Amino acid sequence: MMQTRSELMLKKKPKRWIMNLVFTLALATGVVWSFNKATYNELRLRTFGTSIRIMIEQFQQINWNFFWGTYPWEATDGVVFMTIQTLAIAFLGTLLGAVLAIPFSLLASKNIVGKRFAVIGEIILTMIRVFPELILALILVKGFGINAFTGLLAIGLHSIGMLGKLFSETIDHMDKSSLEALDAVGANVWQKVKYGIIPEIVPDISSVTLYRLDINVRSASVLGIIGAGGLGSTMMLAGENWNWSTLGAILIAIVVMVMVVDVVSSYLRNKLV
Amino acid sequence: MVILVGLVVGFWQFIRLDPGYNPEGFRLDQLWIIVEKLFTPQRGRDWSDLFRYMLTLENPLLQTLKMCFAGTIIGSLMAFPLAILSAKNIVKTPIIYWPMRILMNLIRTIPTMVLAVIAVIFVGTGLLAGIIALILFTFGIMSKMLYEVIETIDMGSYEALESTGANKVQSFRFAVLPQIFPIFLGYILYIFEINIRSSAILAYVGAEGIGTPIRDNTLYNYDYVGATIIVLLALILIVQGISGLVRRKLQ
Repeated sequence: MMQTRSELMLKKKPKRWIMNLVFTLALATGVVWSFNKATYNELRLRTFGTSIRIMIEQFQQINWNFFWGTYPWEATDGVVFMTIQTLAIAFLGTLLGAVLAIPFSLLASKNIVGKRFAVIGEIILTMIRVFPELILALILVKGFGINAFTGLLAIGLHSIGMLGKLFSETIDHMDKSSLEALDAVGANVWQKVKYGIIPEIVPDISSVTLYRLDINVRSASVLGIIGAGGLGSTMMLAGENWNWSTLGAILIAIVVMVMVVDVVSSYLRNKLV
Repeated sequence: MVILVGLVVGFWQFIRLDPGYNPEGFRLDQLWIIVEKLFTPQRGRDWSDLFRYMLTLENPLLQTLKMCFAGTIIGSLMAFPLAILSAKNIVKTPIIYWPMRILMNLIRTIPTMVLAVIAVIFVGTGLLAGIIALILFTFGIMSKMLYEVIETIDMGSYEALESTGANKVQSFRFAVLPQIFPIFLGYILYIFEINIRSSAILAYVGAEGIGTPIRDNTLYNYDYVGATIIVLLALILIVQGISGLVRRKLQ
């Protein structure tokens, strides 16, 4: 019996659906098992409807005095001040991270220091990257006190990890012709960096940094829970006390801030590319 | 450049105006003391006690894994229809895809911790609050990433199927799904990584997990905090390694 080539191919094809079924079942069992012993507060669950009603009622009476920082709150206690402070932490932290990431990325790029040293740099960057921000801030708070500067340092130091990795990838993938020309005329490492690398990578580096700013704005609004300035501490207090009118004011500020930063940074990134 | 310097100077004022900021009060020697307290045995314990403590961490570790697993899977599945509805090349009516995108962006702007605070208010502290927070977070980020993928796929086979008389569901199943499914799986792994990393923060607001021992011991038992940090770092590294391996296979 003659069989066409495509028929043979169809017969050879492994029965994928069995594997798929097993895989799906395993995932489903995993999800169900995860909910097993998922602890929760029954009383809170029972009063779910009431909680939602209270929440909606109080969200309508947003605490505008608190929002603008007028009487009886000082200007530095108001949501507007704290939002700008959060933005300041994220912005300066990202800048600090970007500046500090440059030497690390040079250390981790194969083009400049060679393969063997690049591995060392990559390991350092991975170690920085996996160290959670919150724990970094916990350590820094002891030395720098409970203020916004701690948050700035924590965000800056944590950003080194990811920024350094992305920077070094940019350096590795860039156009190497100018570097080779510099090699041919006998330039040393510093001269190679100045004339061969910086003009090539500045657009890419800026776009990566802007992307990191997006992430850092979100984490800056969270870091406050351990006392590193910004909105976080007030937000957590308001949440734990069911103070919806305060929490509403803070949520509005966060949503507006994140959206503005998103729009501005994507506009700048489009302009760069 | 001038704008950049102006922004730096302007923003610095807000850091400096912070009530707690006084440069004379910086105690930099404390930094070394706290690092030493974190990573050496304290209060009459020795290294074997620390190792034994690390072994007792399996319960919070399991809780974190459960939370991230359930949150990532459910959130991704929920994001799938939303991503399809907000893709411009599949749904061609702006009345449908614009509200979807606005909803997606609204959810995405809220940080995970805020979601956790709100979840804790409604269901109380515990695993369920963490799962709900992670579902919402995954939902926001996944739908955004996925609809961008759907918009960039090759539409040729979709149109070919439609021209042979297949209806929308059929042509989606056989033309679009094979293109986006491997990318979808890769994104699930990537978001799982992000979720594991944020689990340390989630414990601070009452969603249990590996962050709980860190939160509970920060006042006295610094060496326990250090031990937990090491376990957390190991977990993150393992998850990162596995997901990197699988993602490279998928491509």
